[in-house]
Amino acid sequence: MKTNFQSPQQFFRQRRLRLGIVLAVLLVIYGVSMVLVNFQTLASLMQVPAGLIWLFKNFIPTERSISYLGPILYQLWRTLIVSVSSTICASLLGLIFAILGAKTTSPLPGLRLVIRFGASLLRNIPVVAWAMILLFSFKQSDFTGFLALFFMTLGYLTRAFTETIEDLDGEKLQALQAVGANYFQCVFCGVLPEVASTLTSWVLYMIENNLRDATLVGILTGTGVGFLFNHYFKSFRYDAAGLIVLLIAVLVICLELTSTQIRRAIA
Amino acid sequence: MLKVIQLDKTYGQNKHSLKDVNFTAQPGEVTAIIGPSGAGKTTILRSVNQLIRDNGGKILLDDQDIRQANKSELRKIRHHIGMIFQNYNLISPLTALENVLHGRLGAKSTFAGIFGMYSTDEKQEALALLNEVGLGEYAYQRCDQLSGGQQQRVGIARALMQHPKMILCDEPIASLDPKSTKIVMDILRQLAKEKQLIILINLHQIDIALEYADHIVGINSGEIVFEGPSQAVDDQVLQKIYRQADQPKQAVTANEN
Ligand SMILES: Nc1ncnc2c1ncn2[C@@H]1O[C@H](COP(=O)(O)OP(=O)(O)OP(=O)(O)O)[C@@H](O)[C@H]1O
Ligand SMILES: [Mg+2]
Repeated sequence: MKTNFQSPQQFFRQRRLRLGIVLAVLLVIYGVSMVLVNFQTLASLMQVPAGLIWLFKNFIPTERSISYLGPILYQLWRTLIVSVSSTICASLLGLIFAILGAKTTSPLPGLRLVIRFGASLLRNIPVVAWAMILLFSFKQSDFTGFLALFFMTLGYLTRAFTETIEDLDGEKLQALQAVGANYFQCVFCGVLPEVASTLTSWVLYMIENNLRDATLVGILTGTGVGFLFNHYFKSFRYDAAGLIVLLIAVLVICLELTSTQIRRAIA
Repeated sequence: MLKVIQLDKTYGQNKHSLKDVNFTAQPGEVTAIIGPSGAGKTTILRSVNQLIRDNGGKILLDDQDIRQANKSELRKIRHHIGMIFQNYNLISPLTALENVLHGRLGAKSTFAGIFGMYSTDEKQEALALLNEVGLGEYAYQRCDQLSGGQQQRVGIARALMQHPKMILCDEPIASLDPKSTKIVMDILRQLAKEKQLIILINLHQIDIALEYADHIVGINSGEIVFEGPSQAVDDQVLQKIYRQADQPKQAVTANEN
């Protein structure tokens, strides 16, 4: 900014003014959208406690729901397997794409554009849309869910890996070139060790994320714990459905804690 | 002997960074390139091992023109030219030992390099080199846990692992305190004398250059304005080297860093 302020007071007054304007604009946008969707803020807020109480009463697992534990755990396990395997496969392929597509390591500049475009295409189609598209060719199966998660994750991780590699100081690679290392040696001895811990973090994050998404996808593909949830829900066995929600939450939290530990260990 | 003849470099369309650069550097001597910021010191150094592709001239190392080498020849030539940097440029999550072993990559097959297959002799040598630069006890330490001075010494050990004829140093002491500076410069001078290496070094600190270098190359705006023994450098020569072409009134600043 080229503006010259006469005094600090003037500078800070301008700052406050700008902040005030931003807040006012946000309020106006909120007001307009409320009117447009006919949403009564206060009335809706009043309904929240009643809704929660209803949920609480119906979805709390009872003794009866323990009998569902077996099938639920089995499907939960399958869902976990699908999300982990799709993430691992996507990260291996994503790493290759990222190395080919990152500015610092790309052997062909033309390839960069293709990979960038492809990755953003994969990423920007929601996983639910992927599942619905793939249902046509692969029917209702675990494999459809796997593919849907795989494509979305591939797009996401390719982008994240590419940026991680591009953040790497190019001089470090030049140092290896100066030693006489060839392209592959630079990549394996320089790039990969440097980015390994960040990449692992991304993979762990995507596994957590995909476990949540896998449940959603399962409802569509008729597999895994998502399907089970849908099934119990539609047959009014709310306590069993509640048990599923509880177990998913527990699993996600366990996963998060584990990956935090792993991350700390490799940092 | 390194002989640079009529080296020319243009960045982009008309940014003439090196014009008719000629100088020599002898084995057993420390040759320092000095000059103001932006004069072209880094460009010269990186042209010597062809990290930068120049636009014309000759770079003769023991009468072989580096500029004429094809890809695999260049790799072999680079294997015998060590390089150390201001920012050390080690692979930071790896140990000091692994970084030193990287000095062998130029002599290894792709496969052996990728999977880090080093012979027992190579490992012993790397360890010995770390001892030589006083870092034996840090061999298994991650490099990002070492101090700047220590990292620079790992960089020197990596260069030595290449069995170099020549070591290029781009402002190796610009980020170091006086004590580490002395350690690093002493090592470099000793290497020149004992192993008869060509040490070519870019420096901003004139006092260090005059103290350690046998031979001085002065550059200003991409042109060599002085070449001779360090004894021959006096105030007049320094004026000439550090002259500011477009700002004649500004005082001459010797230490830019
Ligand atoms: N990649 C590049 N693209 C365009 N111009 C460049 C590039 N690298 C260097 N230059 C220009 O070439 C000239 C010489 O740069 P060089 O880095 O060799 O200077 P230097 O003497 O090493 O400076 P310093 O002491 O600041 O490191 C400068 O004018 C610089 O702007
Ligand atoms: Mg420089």
